[in-house]
Amino acid sequence: MIVETGHFALVLAFALALVQSVVPLVGARTGEARLMAAGGPVAIAGFALTALAFAALTAAYVQSDFSVANVWQNSHSLKPMLYKVTGTWGNHEGSMLLWVVILAFFGALVAVFGRNLPATLRANVLAVQGWIGAAFLLFVLATSNPFVRLEPAPFEGRDLNPILQDIGLAIHPPLLYLGYVGFSISFSFAVAALIEGRIDAAWARWVRPWTLAAWVFLTGGIAMGSYWAYYELGWGGFWFWDPVENASFMPWLAGTALLHSAIVMEKRSALKIWTILLAILTFSLSLLGTFLVRSGVLTSVHAFATDPTRGVFILGILVVFIGGSLALFALRAGSLTAGGLFHPISREGALVLNNLFLTTATATVLVGTLYPLVVEAISGDKISVGAPFFNLTFGPLMLPLLLLIPFGPLLAWKRGDVFAVAQRLMAAFGGALLAVLATLLLVDGASVFAALGIGIAVWMVLGALTDLAQKSALGAVPLGVAARRFAGLPRSVFGTALAHMGMGLSVLGIVATVAFEVEHITVMKPGETTEIAGRTLRFEGVAPVQGPNFTETQARFVLMQGGVSRGALISSKRIYTARQMPTTEAGILTRGLSQLYVSLGDETGDGGMVVRIWWKPLVTLIWLGGAVMMAGGAVSLTDRRLRVGAPSRRTRPSAVPSGAKA
Amino acid sequence: MLFWIVAALLTLAASLAVMLPLAGRTRADNPRDHDIEVYRDQLKELERDAARGLIGPAEAEEAKAEIGRRILRLAGPENADSARAGAKLPRMVAVAAVLAVPVIAWGVYAVTGSPALPGQPLSARLAEDPADSSLEELIARAEGHLVSNPEDGRGWDVLAPIYLRGGRFADSVSAYRNAIRLLGETPDRLAGLGEAQASAAGGLVTAEARASFERAMAADPANPKARFYLATALAQEGRLKEAGEAWRTMLSALPADNPWREAVQQAIAEADRRIAAADAPPAAGPSQSEIEAAQKMSPQDRAAMIEQMVAGLDQKLRENPRDPEGWMRLVRSYAMLGRTDAARDALARGLEALDGDSEDGRRLLALAASLGLPATE
Repeated sequence: MIVETGHFALVLAFALALVQSVVPLVGARTGEARLMAAGGPVAIAGFALTALAFAALTAAYVQSDFSVANVWQNSHSLKPMLYKVTGTWGNHEGSMLLWVVILAFFGALVAVFGRNLPATLRANVLAVQGWIGAAFLLFVLATSNPFVRLEPAPFEGRDLNPILQDIGLAIHPPLLYLGYVGFSISFSFAVAALIEGRIDAAWARWVRPWTLAAWVFLTGGIAMGSYWAYYELGWGGFWFWDPVENASFMPWLAGTALLHSAIVMEKRSALKIWTILLAILTFSLSLLGTFLVRSGVLTSVHAFATDPTRGVFILGILVVFIGGSLALFALRAGSLTAGGLFHPISREGALVLNNLFLTTATATVLVGTLYPLVVEAISGDKISVGAPFFNLTFGPLMLPLLLLIPFGPLLAWKRGDVFAVAQRLMAAFGGALLAVLATLLLVDGASVFAALGIGIAVWMVLGALTDLAQKSALGAVPLGVAARRFAGLPRSVFGTALAHMGMGLSVLGIVATVAFEVEHITVMKPGETTEIAGRTLRFEGVAPVQGPNFTETQARFVLMQGGVSRGALISSKRIYTARQMPTTEAGILTRGLSQLYVSLGDETGDGGMVVRIWWKPLVTLIWLGGAVMMAGGAVSLTDRRLRVGAPSRRTRPSAVPSGAKA
Repeated sequence: MLFWIVAALLTLAASLAVMLPLAGRTRADNPRDHDIEVYRDQLKELERDAARGLIGPAEAEEAKAEIGRRILRLAGPENADSARAGAKLPRMVAVAAVLAVPVIAWGVYAVTGSPALPGQPLSARLAEDPADSSLEELIARAEGHLVSNPEDGRGWDVLAPIYLRGGRFADSVSAYRNAIRLLGETPDRLAGLGEAQASAAGGLVTAEARASFERAMAADPANPKARFYLATALAQEGRLKEAGEAWRTMLSALPADNPWREAVQQAIAEADRRIAAADAPPAAGPSQSEIEAAQKMSPQDRAAMIEQMVAGLDQKLRENPRDPEGWMRLVRSYAMLGRTDAARDALARGLEALDGDSEDGRRLLALAASLGLPATE
């Protein structure tokens, strides 16, 4: 009953999505207010129905209802409850359903919070959302239906891929999808503006919070995915320039550019056409990512099942939406009016520069990701474009951008003074120089490059702090006044500073880990000790452990420093019974911001064990920086200026402010 | 029944979401009011920025003028969009939209859904008495057990013959293999494995199946299943007399109440019938005089005579290909002469003439397999 109700709800949601894609659009073209008004309730009902379908599938997983083929293929009755729930989206069909649910969720948010948008804009946005929703619902129903049933039902499932049986599955995909799909709103706004042939003044004010929200989620999703790969795969790496990683990184880069160009558009009504193009490109890259990951073109832990019809279907969606929106752009861009003027050296100019660097970097990653696929499709040769390519191309592009970041927020709008800003940044520059020297003098074997990298990271962090200090006039006015000014700064100023500081912290973590990490591979027997990075690691012994759906060999280690225990860690190897699949569970011990990472290899036969040990200095900053960036985005979302008043609400002062709620 | 009520209610709710706004009254608003609101906000923000020194005073004035110009532009002539009132199209769209929801939903669900299948949460199914379960459910239950405990040989041993009975031959083969791997070989398991292998090959006793039966026979020479199938293998090769002989020996050793008796008797009758039918074949074998003559010849001459006879048979079959026994003899003859290519060619032609899927075709294939000629189809 529950399963079939979910299935029916999904089909009904598809019907509603079709209505949503036509009726408001016709309303907007003919000026018929009632047709336009239908978009909102339909979007909300569509979200309720997809959410119901998703809940039904989750219930089937929780109850181990193996009469559902999807549950049988990806679940097991002995799996812990958390993984039964998360297993709902730990497979192709379920994850596409999650994609659709989140899409419908954003559509409903526009319907709820968009009451004070101009009616035609709102109708067109909802219609475009309806197109995307209808296309993906059809994809789910036609090629990836999670509600296909089995008769007779098996009594046991085939279990979830053990690598996915982790808390990471609970966080990474939902966050990433909230980011990917969140960009669909900016896309819908862009296409709606193109359909109307005019950009309302409210447009940018509306697009920016959505972009910001999507960006916050995508940042979190990428950071979480990176940390998950780091601790689960047992290689100790945090980023591999893997095509699947790039697939999520490209929308992030383009989205970051969009975020900044939307600021210019919002504040100065400039860069309109460019912002529209970026909004289209960002979501196109999200779709491309979905295609690369879901079509089975790439083999990875994300490619749950390969089925050519699915690939062709998503490719079709991709071509229609990207091609269609770009064609519309080519047709209409000329008729859009350009806005405010500015000098090259100004806040606007700095943001344009940021956009140039970010879009070029996106193009670089795109080339590096697609080139092997194109080569394979044409000549059949398998080549791999890895870290060397990206280090040579992406690195040099990022370097000037990172150096320039502290300048941007300090420049004035319309016309800025670089020398004045440079003067104000002297303290930050001094601090960065000091960090370079300290690294060279204090760390053994530090290369000049590593020291400069540390310097850049410190420069960014101090630059962000300088911005806050300058804006609260610290040092120029009495301390109490400065404190009051500090507290009175707009939230978006804090958001900017936090985001830029987070970026600096991530860079610091990356440079420190890459330059100063120590790796040590050795054979250890119980009771033996080994030295790593001035610390002693003692192998206590192994013990077999029976998990709910796996058997495990746990090895216990104790970290000693100066004869004192500094904590213990357990590294283990598991065999999951149902799939007879082995996994390694790295043991990680966090000391301050650094981590000790122990991964087990094979047994040597004489009671010894191959042990790979890494000391990773400041490695946690990579992800903490991501968290700080997210916090920056979240703080900026609460800024007062994102709450645009609506004309009709004037008479009702108690009305809920819009936008900021998103 | 409950499902249909829920489905109907959901459809109603979805249709209402489309219908209510279409039926209601909405006043059209003027997009310009929205724009003016935003510009007003921009002006206020500009003042705040100027107060904090984020923008120079001259630039602030300039920006203020820009915003002012935008507000003025809004006050220009309306492009009378809202005046368009093609009342017909909207009404048609509205009706179509309201109708579309139930039609599309029920139409698609009729194709993709399984409304008759109830949900089957595992805990509820396990709580049922196994005695009430159908055979499929019992099998599924055992499978579930074996997914979690793949090293349980007893489970495989129980499941293997059930699969065989149920026609799941490939599953039966792997279940027998697992049981043998975990519990060791017994004549019964080996003979069962052979039967599963033969059944998986459409009833043909393949070389693989024969090896299994032979192992079973080696351990227990009286094993009826192994004996029966080995004789069947002979018959499938066209060695009907030997097959009949083997079955007769087997029958004489079987006790009177043995369930195999009936099958063996049928097999003997069938073999006798086919021998009788083959007595006057269109392409006759060598006559008694020819055989006697051959025995007196020198080895070279004998080889030449055999070659000639085989060539004659080949010629006859080209003219009259609908002769299963003839094809069998030809393939075997070429194989015995060591002319593998010719044998393979004869096999291919024979299969074409006899239709590879027919009973005779399969017998020919089995013969080829037993002679070590892989089917190249």
